[in-house]
Amino acid sequence: MIAQERFRGLFQKYLLALFMAVAIPLVINGAIEAWFGYRDQRARVDQLLGVQATAAAAEIHDFIYGITNQLGWLVQVSWTDEPDERRRTDALRLFRQAPAIVSLTLLDNNGLERLYVSRIGLNRIESRADWSTDRALVGARATQIWFSTVSYHRGSEPYLTVAIVGNRQAVGAVVAEVNLKLIWDVISSIKVGKTGIAFVLDQPGRLIAHPDISLVLRGAEEATSGPFRTIRDAIGPEGGFATSRDAQGRAVAASAAPVPGPDWTVVVEQPLSEAYAPIYAALSRTATLLLISTIFAGFLAYALAHRMTDPIKLLEEGTERIGAGSFDHRISIQTGDEFQRLANSFNRMAGELALAQQHQERIAKLKRFLAPQVADLVDRTGDDSVLDGRRTDVVVVFCDLRGFTAFSAGVAPEEVMSVLSEYYEALGRVIAQFEATLISFSGDGLMVLVNAPVPVEQPALRAVDLAIEMQKIVQGLIAGWRSRGYHVGFGIGLAEGPATVGRIGYEDRLDYTAIGSVVNLAARLCASAADREILIDAEVAASVRGKRLLDDLGGRQIKGFDEAIPVFGISFNAS
Amino acid sequence: MRRANHTAAAPHGGVRRRDVLLLMTGAAAWTTSAYAQKPSMPVIGYLGPETPELFDSRLRAFHQGLREAGFVEGRNVAIEYQWARGQYARLPALATELVARNVDLVVASGGAQVALAAKASGTSKTIIFEMGGDPVQLGVVDSLSRPGGNITGVSSLSVDVSPKRLELMHELLPAASKLAVVANPTSPTANSQLQKLRSAAETLGVQLQTLNASKEEEFESVVSSVTQQLAGGLVFTSDPYFAFRSRRLADLAMKYRVPAITQTRDFPMAGGLMSYGGDFMQSHRRAGIYAGRVLRGEKPSDLPVQLVTKVELVINLKTAKFLGHEFSPALVSGADEVIE
Repeated sequence: MIAQERFRGLFQKYLLALFMAVAIPLVINGAIEAWFGYRDQRARVDQLLGVQATAAAAEIHDFIYGITNQLGWLVQVSWTDEPDERRRTDALRLFRQAPAIVSLTLLDNNGLERLYVSRIGLNRIESRADWSTDRALVGARATQIWFSTVSYHRGSEPYLTVAIVGNRQAVGAVVAEVNLKLIWDVISSIKVGKTGIAFVLDQPGRLIAHPDISLVLRGAEEATSGPFRTIRDAIGPEGGFATSRDAQGRAVAASAAPVPGPDWTVVVEQPLSEAYAPIYAALSRTATLLLISTIFAGFLAYALAHRMTDPIKLLEEGTERIGAGSFDHRISIQTGDEFQRLANSFNRMAGELALAQQHQERIAKLKRFLAPQVADLVDRTGDDSVLDGRRTDVVVVFCDLRGFTAFSAGVAPEEVMSVLSEYYEALGRVIAQFEATLISFSGDGLMVLVNAPVPVEQPALRAVDLAIEMQKIVQGLIAGWRSRGYHVGFGIGLAEGPATVGRIGYEDRLDYTAIGSVVNLAARLCASAADREILIDAEVAASVRGKRLLDDLGGRQIKGFDEAIPVFGISFNAS
Repeated sequence: MRRANHTAAAPHGGVRRRDVLLLMTGAAAWTTSAYAQKPSMPVIGYLGPETPELFDSRLRAFHQGLREAGFVEGRNVAIEYQWARGQYARLPALATELVARNVDLVVASGGAQVALAAKASGTSKTIIFEMGGDPVQLGVVDSLSRPGGNITGVSSLSVDVSPKRLELMHELLPAASKLAVVANPTSPTANSQLQKLRSAAETLGVQLQTLNASKEEEFESVVSSVTQQLAGGLVFTSDPYFAFRSRRLADLAMKYRVPAITQTRDFPMAGGLMSYGGDFMQSHRRAGIYAGRVLRGEKPSDLPVQLVTKVELVINLKTAKFLGHEFSPALVSGADEVIE
């Protein structure tokens, strides 16, 4: 479970890292593209609306200019004091050509009204009313063409008064009333994009032209003109394009241009959704691409993360199994990269671990017959080549109990085993103390080797001392046993000479042993030794002579040897 | 384009409202055969003072306006007509009858009397009028920009320019010291027109002979009396009853060789001398547009009364020659249409 969780964590990290590595640049790229697209589109809208506004202003200007141009024909000829029928004809003709003109007043060089013609009211001829102080005439004299502020006839229809003077005083002036409702024909034909419109505001911000005539007819009302003025104010005097909301609350992009002369403003507006339609389209295109790329990045990251974590998972499982002791387990990763190398290392390690374990097992077995110190040495060096077969000089020590077979037949098995275990425990301690090699037990006897597998200084002396110590210990035990009525003795035989030493046996049943006549000799000496006796051959005797007390027991006939063999005894009481 | 957009959206809105209305009527267990046939279409109740034949050109203008607002009769709007056939006194009863048919909108076309009759019916449905004269002065609406209530419409300047007709007649006959005017005493605008005409006559320095005619039978005696009264010419006040009988008036004027002027171009076209008045094609067309806008859901109180400011002068030179008079060059050049 824990391993599983750890795996998942790593997978998530890889997945996240790889996903981010792909997705973040994509998102940044998309965002930058969108931002620049937005800016470009804004600039385009600005330019487009600006052009539209200028064009619309030009059309409105043309409307006004058309009227002033027509009016200019009425101030060409100098006035005389006589009534002028021709001027009336001109005025009536002008009515037909300029339907927006409601009435005309012709003034002479003295500012007196000479002719008034109207579509609705009665005409006046030669009324000679004095206009010289009228602000229309005063204004026109100052600027040649004068425009009044817009007034709303009966609170509904927007009217403008235009006054024009000729190029000299003698031709007088003309004052015309213009019904601005007729700009509708111009303004309704102006198209801004698909659904955009244009409208006109006068200087104070009242609506004077709009495609919806019903709004114009209420232009004097603040409630009607307010929203339009808001758009104009959003644009500001610097021009350019601005976003605002129309009367219905829809977001619009708007631009404005002035109409020179009457000081009006033409505003063109287009629903923002339409003005920004290209950028919205581009944005949704970018978003779709981004989404697709992100999903692709997700799949890619998932696949890559899997490729990275799968070998790790295999390694983890493999090491766990090897750790649990399955040294024959092999991790199979064929990625051709570091993971494969790592897996190969693990596999090699597992092989080495298996070897090391075999070695350990062998060492453990050695400890059964090697003195603990020797076994430790072999263990530490890890080298059991000392156990390999070779020929060397050894001292073989045999010992056994006398009369043990008779004793064992007479007492209970428990007693026999108790005696034997006391006996071997005592002997084992001595053998260990002298770092001798225990070769084998057989009943009440045992065989010990000195100078193999590890050579020692003065092996014969050590073997003799070993034998003396054995006798001392065992005789101590025997004294105890006698008190319990058990009659046994203990004898030892030693022989020195070359022998073949090494491991024998098979698989788990390997023993260390020595083969050679020296072994037989020692065994025979042991067999011929009486209780409390330590018999040694001539070799041993030669080695310890002078160092330990020897009894020359003379030649003895030993079984298996043709000639009598010189035998010596060691007195252990003396030492 | 803006217009077209509204058009596209409008029929759906209309349909929904219609459905609601239908449900309500159904709940009231109010069944009529008229409703069963086209339940999804809004219904316009059209009140006209004359016959459909006389109204033909006006109806075409009205339908054109409706079409501009996105409605076509029989396709997405139904129209129930109610014609007074010249009997103006029947208008209030006809208006009540039309309203009782539960129409969605009432169009009162062809004069102040029609508008007043429709208003008098007390309907809660929107009324769109087409008339001459000042709708504020006549008490039809509160103001031009804010009509108030459920009524709005289009007014031509025909009534306002009555004095202008006297002026034109005076200009043609500067020597005539006496001119006759004909008024329809049943018309709600008759008094104000006569008042203006009298003050204009004073300004122009002519005597005014006032004649009355409210029935077609009276026309001949009125025209024939002009010569007996020694009046130089005959000026008709603005009145739909006169306007729709232009042919008859033209025939009578020719018969008695009387120079006459009316409000509608139909008169010189039919052989009369001249006409000066509002352009009825425009006023009827705009009434149609307003009807369409109301059907799309706009409130009548948001639609200001539209004045058709275009007034046209039509003269017939042939008739002038026949009568032995000559138009001044100024008048000829100022005429919107000259019939030769």
